[in-house]
This record gives sequence, structure tokens and C-alpha cells, in this order.
Amino acid sequence: MVAPAVIVTAALVLYPLIAGFVTSLRSGDVALGEQSRFVGLGNYGDVVSSSTVHEAVAHTLVYVVLAVTLELALGLIVAIALHHVFPGRGIVLAILILPWALPSVVSGVLWRRMFDPDSGLLNSVLMQLHLVSHPQVWLASRTWALAFITLVHVWSVLPLVSLVLIAGLQNIPDDVYSASAVDGATPLRQFRHITLPLLRPSIAVALTIGTVWAIKIFDEIYVLNGTALNTRSIVMEVYTTTFVNADFPHGTALAFLLTGITAVLAAGYALAFGRSRT
Amino acid sequence: MTRFRAARFVRTVAIAAIILWSLAPIALGVVTSVSTQADVRAIPLHWLPDHVTMDPYRGLLGGTADIRAGGTVSETGAFAQAMWNSASITLISTLAILCVAISAGYAFARLRFPGRNVLFWVVVATAIIPVFTLVIALFQLLAEAGLIDRKLGLVLVFVSTSTPLAMWLVHNHVKELPTEPEEAALLDGCTRWQAFWHVVLPQMRSSIAALSAILVLSVWGEFLIPLLLTSTSASKPVAVLIPEYVGKYTTNYPLLAAAGVLALLPPAVVALVLNRHIRGMLSGSS
Repeated sequence: MVAPAVIVTAALVLYPLIAGFVTSLRSGDVALGEQSRFVGLGNYGDVVSSSTVHEAVAHTLVYVVLAVTLELALGLIVAIALHHVFPGRGIVLAILILPWALPSVVSGVLWRRMFDPDSGLLNSVLMQLHLVSHPQVWLASRTWALAFITLVHVWSVLPLVSLVLIAGLQNIPDDVYSASAVDGATPLRQFRHITLPLLRPSIAVALTIGTVWAIKIFDEIYVLNGTALNTRSIVMEVYTTTFVNADFPHGTALAFLLTGITAVLAAGYALAFGRSRT
Repeated sequence: MTRFRAARFVRTVAIAAIILWSLAPIALGVVTSVSTQADVRAIPLHWLPDHVTMDPYRGLLGGTADIRAGGTVSETGAFAQAMWNSASITLISTLAILCVAISAGYAFARLRFPGRNVLFWVVVATAIIPVFTLVIALFQLLAEAGLIDRKLGLVLVFVSTSTPLAMWLVHNHVKELPTEPEEAALLDGCTRWQAFWHVVLPQMRSSIAALSAILVLSVWGEFLIPLLLTSTSASKPVAVLIPEYVGKYTTNYPLLAAAGVLALLPPAVVALVLNRHIRGMLSGSS
């Protein structure tokens, strides 16, 4: 009964993983028909010292930090607003998960019209309010483009983070709050001294989900701004290197580096939150 | 008392904001998809179109070309074909993943065989390997096997990349089930397979529903894998076709929105119908 699972993962996950790692250690531009030879960690060195990779890393850092901060802050607000029972709560929760259920490409398309220079809602509204005098090409500006792409990403991931936090809130017994209220604790002090510490495990999960999803951001960038240099993430850089420039060895090396960073980050979160819990 | 009322007011505002935030982009997409291009470009902005038209949908399905170079081009039948590709790939992948993951998850949870733990952890560990690390080697592998731009190639990749996590979820669920009913069935002369089919599966209905829903949503929405592994309408799913409607210089927003609305209908229906199960699994798996 386990054979099919073992065979498919061995053939289509483990084999490509090893084959990919071997590719990352060899040189040779497929497009130029060069002879392939073993170069050890040379490709990794090239990738680490490439300036476009540095920019992609900087963009990815912005995406991750901005997205995770927004997701946690908004997720806490959503969770606190929705974790008590009220009439229609089921419907609101069903609506809440919709953005998560949509294909990220569709989310990108839905939001695209907001930022479009010619028929964008943002420009129309800002011009009507006389805040800008002429249409802005938002996605051409690095700052705005990074911010808007993050916004679209947060729109799709927030439901998941909120659900995790709602489940966490429901695990905190009500007695803790009533007992502290008797002792004269204000809601703000309750939030600071009861909710946040007891929510720690759920926050750790939300943080990990948010980071892992943001670090591999690709779809939203592709739909909103294509392969443009000013918004390239690391995965977008992997995509351009490998499939636009047909440079498989460097693309694979960068992909493996990103996998390593992701694993280290995830392990770091687990250690940091696991240790303080005991 | 006033503080209580103030808190309730704040909460009501927050709930209204959550609904607006979740639905506004979708509503805007629906409105755009029945607008004329003139309405979409109008300055000052038309919140609702002057003329409601089905032309964007007609153009999307029937085909249209922007007169200007570098504009949106929609080939006749291409969108319908892509929807069909998405539907068939999603259904077959989901069914295949369910079969492989449920049988393996059950076997790993209940049967004893040599090397069980090592095999289990090797398969589960592959769940954390990001797909973009594999996709380059997968591309080369499928190219050698002649499976590029074939639905079968995509299905195989989805099965292999989604099975580990699905199997792990099934395994955890089976572990939580009491063993007595199965043991009773085995004592009564059922085979292992009969006990699994008649005793275990019925207890897992809700989690299988949730798992199927999550698989359908993720396969339907997957972009990077099919972007690289498909090239023609023979296998291209709708998620890959949609970005092609973004023109190089100008974009036909009503047509693009119509494509988005049609492509979001299946996942939205799945999410709304099975939302209770999905929520249970998403918050429970934490």
C-alpha cells in the first residue's frame, strides 16, 4: 500500500533533487552548446557575487518583512474580531477564506486594474481628490511596486494566518480572562499579558507560514510586473536565469541556496519558539 | 456599559472591513467584466458601468484581437480549452493523490513492516522541498520522457509534489482513530482491505472532504509548474493562459476580468461549499 507513494516521491522528488544538485555543480551553457564539466561550488560563488541576485535578495527581504508584519498585525485584528460567536459568523468566516481559495494569478489580475496607469482605480481616485495631477505609473516605481505586490500577496495569505490565530485564541480558556478582570486588568493589559503569551505557539505557526509563502513569492510579481528588474524576487531570478537565459547550472545553484535559507529560517523559528515555551 | 457598547461598535466596524477587504477586489472584477472598455478608461472614474455588456465574455470565448499592436489577443476556443485542461488535470490529480496518500498514510499508521519509520520520514521530509528547486530537473526529466506539454506530465508532477503532505495529514488522522473497531472487524474475518474500506474510511469522511478541497484549490491555482511544463493549448491550464491576456502595451481589462471571474468560479464554489471542513483542517493542522 505504500509502494505507489514511495515510488512517485523517489522518482519525481528525490531523483530531480539529486539531479538538480549535480547540475548546480557543473558548468556549461545549454543554449550555447558548451561542453559540461565539473566546477564544484563555482556556480554558487558566481550567484552569491552577482549584483542582480543581490537586488533580488533585497527585494525578497522587503516582501518577507513587510508581508509577515502585515499578516501578523492584520491577522491578530481579524482573529480578535471573529473569534467570539455572533450571528452570521459562519458566513463571515466563509467570506474570509475566499481570497485564499482563489488562484494567485486571478488575485493578481483582480488587483491589477487598481494600479494600472491608464484605467487604474487608484489614479482616478487620487486625481479626483487632486492628490496627484497626472496618472502615475505605479509599478515602474520600485517602492510602490514592491508595496503593491506585497499587498496582493497579503490579500491571499491573510485568511490562512487569521484561521491559525483564531484557532489559537479558542484554545485560551475564558476563565483566565474573567479571573484577571476580577483582579482589575484592563483589556489592553489582558492582551499584553494573557493573549500574546498564550498565543505564542499559534503566532510561531503563523510566522512560519507567512515567511515560507513570502520567500517564494513569484505568481503575483509575474502577473503585476513580469520579469521587470525593479521587483524581481529570488524565485523570479531563478526563473529568468533558468528559463529565459537558459542557464540551468546557475539557476539551480540559486534555487538550492534559497532552499537552504528557507530551511535555516524555519528551523530557527522552531528553535526560538520551542525553547521559550518550556 | 458604554465601554461594552464601544467595544461592540469597534468589532462591528472591523467585521464590515473584513468583508469589504475580502470581497471588494472580486466585486470589482465582476463589474469590470461586464463593462465596455470606454467605461473602464473613463476619467473621472465610473464606479458602475454606463452600459452593462456581455461582450468581454463573448470576446474571451469567441476570440478577439486588439486592433492596436501589443494589445490583448484572445484566440477562439483557447479559453474554453484551458478551462477544460484545468478541470481534467485538477480532477485526475486530486483523485490520484487521494488514492496514493490515503492508502500510504493508512499503511504507515497501522501496518508493521521493516523500514517503516525510515521510509515514512523520507517521504514526509520531501514535503518541505520547495517546488522551484525541483522544477528545473523535472523539466529535463519530463523532456527526456516526452512528457513536456502533456497533461499526464503535469498530473505526475502534482501527484509527486502533493502526496507527501497529504499522506502525512492522513497518517496523523488515522493515528487518532481508535483501533478497536478495526481489530474487531479483523477478528470477525475481514481482510485488512475490507476493514480499511468498511470501517476506517467511513470515519474519515470529513477529513477526506477537506483534503480533496485543499488539493483541488492548490492544483487549480498552481502557476509556476504548468508555466514551465506546458507550452500549447494541448495542456495549458487556465492559470497560465490568463497572464497572456495582459497586453504588452495596452490591456483589455474587461476581457481580462472576464477570464479571472470564470477561472475563480470553480475554486470559489469549492471553498464556499466545503468551507467548514476546510477551516477545520487548516486550523487543526497547526
